[in-house]
Amino acid sequence: METRSFTDYLRGLDDDALISLFAARPDLVSPVPPDLASLAVRACSAPSLARAVDSLNEWQFEVLEACSAVNEPMNEKEIVALTDLSAKFVIPHLLELALLYRSDDGLRLPNSLREVLGNEPAGLGPASMVKLSTKKITEAPESAQKVLERLTWGPPRGSVGDIRNPGPGIAWLLKENFLVPLDQRTVVLPREVGIHLRGGKIHKNPQPNPPIVSGKVVDAAAINRAAIANVATVLRWCEEILNFWSEEPPSALRAGGIGVRDLKTAAEHLGVDENCAAFISELVYLGGLVVIDADDRVLPTHAFDLWLTQTPELRWRTLVALWLVTSRVSGLVGRGDSKHIAALGPELDRVNASSTRRLTLEILSSHPGISLELESTLAHMKWRSPSRRNPGIQSDLTQWTLREAEWLGITGQGALSKYGAAFIQEQEELGINQDLPRTVDHILIQSDNTAIAPGPLEIDVARILDSIADIESRGGATVYRFSEASIRRGLDHGKTGEEIKEFLRKTSKTPMPQPLEYLIADVSKRHGRLRVGNTNAYIRCEDPSLIAQILSDKKLEGLPLRRIAPEVLICELDANEVMVTLRAAGYMPAAESISGVILTGVRLNRAKSRPRPPRIIGELESPTPETLSAALRSIRAGEKSSHKQSSLRALSSNAFGSLPRTTANETLEILNKFIKEQRTLSIGYADNNGSATHRIIDPLSIAAGSLIARDHGTGEVQTFRIPRITGVAPL
Amino acid sequence: MTEGPLIVQSDKTLLLDIDHPLSTECRRAIAPFAELERSPEHIHTYRLTSLGLWNARAAGHDAEQVIDTLLQYSRYAVPHSILIDVAETMSRYGRLRLEANPIHGLVLITTDTAVLEEVIRSKKIAPLLGPRIDPETIAVHPSQRGHIKQSLLRLGWPAEDFAGYVDGQHHEIDLVQDGWKIRQYQELAAEGFWHGGSGVVVLPCGAGKTIVGAAAMAHAKATTLILVTNTIAARQWREELLQRTTLNEDEIGEYSGSKKEIRPVTIATYQVMTKKKNGVYSHLDLFDTHDWGLIIYDEVHLLPAPIFRFTADIQSRRRLGLTATLVREDGLEGEVFSLIGPKRFDVPWKEIEAQGYIAPAECIEVRVTLTEAERLAYATAEPENRYRLCATTRTKRNVVEELAKRHADDQLLVIGQYIDQLDELSEVLGVPLIKGDTPIKERERLFGLFRTGEIKCLVVSKVANFSIDLPDATVAIQVSGAFGSRQEEAQRLGRILRPKADGRTARFYSVVSRDTIDQDFAQNRQRFLAEQGYSYKIIDADDVFQGKI
Repeated sequence: METRSFTDYLRGLDDDALISLFAARPDLVSPVPPDLASLAVRACSAPSLARAVDSLNEWQFEVLEACSAVNEPMNEKEIVALTDLSAKFVIPHLLELALLYRSDDGLRLPNSLREVLGNEPAGLGPASMVKLSTKKITEAPESAQKVLERLTWGPPRGSVGDIRNPGPGIAWLLKENFLVPLDQRTVVLPREVGIHLRGGKIHKNPQPNPPIVSGKVVDAAAINRAAIANVATVLRWCEEILNFWSEEPPSALRAGGIGVRDLKTAAEHLGVDENCAAFISELVYLGGLVVIDADDRVLPTHAFDLWLTQTPELRWRTLVALWLVTSRVSGLVGRGDSKHIAALGPELDRVNASSTRRLTLEILSSHPGISLELESTLAHMKWRSPSRRNPGIQSDLTQWTLREAEWLGITGQGALSKYGAAFIQEQEELGINQDLPRTVDHILIQSDNTAIAPGPLEIDVARILDSIADIESRGGATVYRFSEASIRRGLDHGKTGEEIKEFLRKTSKTPMPQPLEYLIADVSKRHGRLRVGNTNAYIRCEDPSLIAQILSDKKLEGLPLRRIAPEVLICELDANEVMVTLRAAGYMPAAESISGVILTGVRLNRAKSRPRPPRIIGELESPTPETLSAALRSIRAGEKSSHKQSSLRALSSNAFGSLPRTTANETLEILNKFIKEQRTLSIGYADNNGSATHRIIDPLSIAAGSLIARDHGTGEVQTFRIPRITGVAPL
Repeated sequence: MTEGPLIVQSDKTLLLDIDHPLSTECRRAIAPFAELERSPEHIHTYRLTSLGLWNARAAGHDAEQVIDTLLQYSRYAVPHSILIDVAETMSRYGRLRLEANPIHGLVLITTDTAVLEEVIRSKKIAPLLGPRIDPETIAVHPSQRGHIKQSLLRLGWPAEDFAGYVDGQHHEIDLVQDGWKIRQYQELAAEGFWHGGSGVVVLPCGAGKTIVGAAAMAHAKATTLILVTNTIAARQWREELLQRTTLNEDEIGEYSGSKKEIRPVTIATYQVMTKKKNGVYSHLDLFDTHDWGLIIYDEVHLLPAPIFRFTADIQSRRRLGLTATLVREDGLEGEVFSLIGPKRFDVPWKEIEAQGYIAPAECIEVRVTLTEAERLAYATAEPENRYRLCATTRTKRNVVEELAKRHADDQLLVIGQYIDQLDELSEVLGVPLIKGDTPIKERERLFGLFRTGEIKCLVVSKVANFSIDLPDATVAIQVSGAFGSRQEEAQRLGRILRPKADGRTARFYSVVSRDTIDQDFAQNRQRFLAEQGYSYKIIDADDVFQGKI
């Protein structure tokens, strides 16, 4: 009987069903496959199925396991019988994901799904080869009962001393086929027996509902107050770490990333622990605010300067959005075998990072006003996303996510804040700008030569103050101290004493104390009395009149000369050139050595390289409806043309009796179908020299890119490499 | 967001906006756990320290109260890390206790064996301990009570001391409040000390620290040893105690170079206590051989090193330290706190001034310009002679003369460091000089004349830095000092802070040579006072001569 293939099932789906399939499994349309046959191959490939299986929650997975324990084709009743009535609600989801599909005779599983689920799903052994009468189990002798008990809930394998000489219990079970020998020392409990012993169910404790998350109720005002403090703090941390690196750029490790010592220094500077410093470094790295430049220095980028000009809300939103989608996990910093994993380094990517973060935020938003209790959150998380492939990291990831969410202010005192909620709901306004303390444009100068900005300062005021005073204390307010050295620094940056005084008078709400005025006056009086600069050549002469003569000499008009003292001229040209010119004009200079005047301006230390934020790997963006329908259109079009092509090819091959030719996808599809139906077929196969021959084969299985089949020509079981198969045709 | 008066910074400083209506209330609330660091005109700075938080625990405040206070008064959201830190620090207190065990004597007991294991493994602690009694208890050598408390504090596991204090020999002492009344802050200070057991009280010069001492004695009602800086101070203490308490002349003894009386209340000088005879401190026995119930250290910022060492051994006696300026250029403030006890009371100078208990003062820095010749001499002098050279310049003499002329009607003190300079000034101004070798009798005679107003002006050397009462000095001129010493400057200002009968503002002139290290030192010296809110006005010497002051 002809069974409907998976491809046919896909062909039978309407547009809506396909689109929901794409939405649920975006990897299927990335890149867009040429036709439905290719789509089917991709959907049945082990990696794609594994991805789809990973997206299931515990209960959905249990139902899928139950499906794999039933012989195909199956119906809903069988599945419900093995699980729970609520499995009925799960089956449509499995169908939507194409982890289950309908053929004419019932529900079936895609080809490689059993492999993905493993050999012994839910700890059940293989199906029995013979018909069993499970009633007889009750007659089992006691020793046999014990063996059965041990094997009931899996693993279904047990080892025996010697299969030829088993104990009485095992012997009875073997005789009755309630145990099947696997090899010399292993026996296995057939699936039917297992299910019978489990009372007709599959799972000991089926979990149709997620474990309940518990936690502490926190007052909403307290949450938001704590959260806004966190928001302000995290933004300040980012700014500070970058300013710190701008002054003292750490050198990147040869293996990439920042060394432990540099991270520690940064942590001390920020007054946080190293985990937090690693988090901040990664955050600014994600934002492209810092880069490891060509000289292996870690330096802020120009993007940082732009970022500073943005509103706090925008700054925060950008960073949080990047944090949410990144595959980089800053919690890993300092871990690894030799604690070598470095911040900004290459080893921080983890596949589940983003999905875990999303899920954690989802749990947070479904429990508003509650500070989650970790244990129950982890249990809930495990149910929602069992993450079978790397279970170890998930609880770490969840904990880190909660920790980082607090640092970021998505949560306050452990519960979702209104800013976090607004962010998750993608609202236009998060309310951060309104709730952050308003920036102040004034300072209070005190007579102990300190100035206090009683709130976050406006950026241009802060910049100027930074250049003329040292910061003594940071936080909600900033305490600046004026000293001789700090005033001098301001003068070095090109300000005059008067300008500084004027600025302070304008900015300060309190009258300027006289000692500060004197300090500025004293420093600026002394500043710049000595002048230093570079020049290429100088001309000096003890006789000022000769210098005057040179200056007015028409023959020397080409020389760019400057008189810096009655007896000294300087020139930008090289000393040799000056000598040559002077000699040509009839003077008799003697060579000496080098000096001029330029004040250096403010220079901010920034990397020359463009920002290169780390790439996000592992996660696929959910495609938009537009891309989905575009993908569908493209596949439908491909389908038409490939259909046309294959019918043309069939015509021509029939006409000339030549080697069968099919496309790679068709080949796989036909092979899979024939393996299932155990039918003989003919293939064209290219040998090592490239010449193709015609073989008649019985296909057995496909594994690792090769077809295993019995060749009628040689009568042996042989391996055929699939890329070399030019085509397949039924006999 | 509340609009509170307090800003909590991420470096654990607290900024208090004193122009805010709630500032007084807030100051009271944070005083038990935060240490006052600076108190200039607009914003006072407090700091959260481990020591401060532990003291608050000892005084019965818990972390929740502290956190509530911070949240209640904070203008902006309080950084979460600070709240966690407060809770964590405070939870460290009390895990270790020092107790007097009837069988084993002094023992260290823990509620957390892991902590005990940690501390007994420390190299600093191990030698101070005796045998282990049980998993939670270990014996401590009684003589090491001070040392072990100090070392545990450094390890971050402060021990709560339940071993108590010896009461000392009982002696009835009471305050006699006839015609005067103890001020509120003095009472608060004495009570703060008494509840804490031991500690330091910081009050501005002239704010009546002696009364705090007397009040503490009235609390203790026991024999008392009072340590003071010099004989004159000793006599002043005696006068004050006779006047303010029930003590009579026979109950107060003086233990100094000239007299060696031991009475229920004995006043000893640091000098005699640290005098060595044949290489040993022969008078230190005074601490031990008598059953004192209270030991008062006057001017604790001057406490000499041998007394430090000895103080560690008498931890079971109550100790009270008194000072105006707990800044030591040698950085030993920490030692004072751990040996005598934590700061129990501190109040901004300006607040006492506002209450009228100390006179308002105007600080003026007069800058003189060196003559060409002096400048050349200064530029070529050896570095070690430079300060002396610029501090004693002749130009200063003219300015002092002019200032003295302007304040001819005021009680005037001229204070300096260098005797040559002072000799010269005393000659030029035609007034007596008091210096180290002036006999006590002569000093007292001169002070007496000055007090009655018969002498309007005195030149004094650094002997007058402390503890002399010159009730009517209204103007001080400082011509040179001990380099950049902040406390000296404050103590000298203190000489004129006694409230004036007519409520007049006191004037403190500091004459400084422009563009020399004299000016740099002056800046450092002024820092303590600037942080207390005294704003210096800078004027030029020419302004003095032109009468623009």
